[in-house]
Amino acid sequence: MKTETKILNQENNELDKRLTEKNNVIMTDMVCYLRLANISEHDQEVVRQDLLQMVLSAQERGEDIKTLISEDYKSFCDEVIAALPQKNHKERVLDLIDTLLLSTSILGVIHIVISKETMELIYNAVTGQQLNFHISISVGDLLSYVIIIATGFLIVHVIGKNLLKPEKKHNQSKIKKFIICGAISGGLMAVFLIIAWVGRQTLFTVNIFAACVFILGLYIAHKLLQELIIT
Amino acid sequence: MLKGILENCILKVISGDETYGYEISQQLQKYGFSDISEGTIYPLLLRLEKNNLIKAKYRESALGPKRKYFSITPAGEKELEAFINNWQELNHAVNQLFHIGE
Repeated sequence: MKTETKILNQENNELDKRLTEKNNVIMTDMVCYLRLANISEHDQEVVRQDLLQMVLSAQERGEDIKTLISEDYKSFCDEVIAALPQKNHKERVLDLIDTLLLSTSILGVIHIVISKETMELIYNAVTGQQLNFHISISVGDLLSYVIIIATGFLIVHVIGKNLLKPEKKHNQSKIKKFIICGAISGGLMAVFLIIAWVGRQTLFTVNIFAACVFILGLYIAHKLLQELIIT
Repeated sequence: MLKGILENCILKVISGDETYGYEISQQLQKYGFSDISEGTIYPLLLRLEKNNLIKAKYRESALGPKRKYFSITPAGEKELEAFINNWQELNHAVNQLFHIGE
């Protein structure tokens, strides 16, 4: 059964299509900013619908979005967020668990699909050789998992922090950009070296079907948790 | 303080009749509140709704998206009454201090 939030989301996606290109860009930025705020998904969609209604009505009247909201979209969104109930500790923990369940199941599928053992299994099945249904999990796989998850959270945090900022704040000096790029490149290089150095060691092997069932279980748990979080 | 005054002015407009954001901003502008757009009052409407001083109801509109209509709640009426009393006291005190209307 579709929840109220999902219905609102679909309605809003339809309304989005009626925005002008310029308004669509601003609305997308504001919605992204709201998505990263500590408010429920239901409130996000309610606010999104209210804003869409406001912007579409302004469009019909031939008014600019700047007349409606002023150019300080960040302050406007911050005021909106402050006026809404904030997620409590339990809700934030459930959100985190949900994100981890979904990302682990996706990374799990990717690992099974691209693993050396799967390729061998397919090759052996085609050529009629003996089949080995075990895949190995190495230290490198676990390290990669942690790095991917941490990087994902970091990217979302950085995007959220920089969304809706006035243009001039994006203009960092060349030296600062060079230092940041250098630090990121150096960090990535160090990570790859560590993975290459200690990553090959196999931690354990697991039956491919058991791994699939485990991943499916994680995905089902994510879906169930979503039903619990989103009403 | 100014935000609190504006919130109560919005409550006053809503107490007259069920209305929606754009109409509220137009009413406020009519009474001399310049630069009050629908966007300015939207966060205040959300706050009033969160504090159960107003309630919202969606209705279909000719433009397509559902329009949010607001009406005052009994708690909102009480709040408005308290504000009017406080405002009269404050108004009197400020007038006394500045000798306005002597």
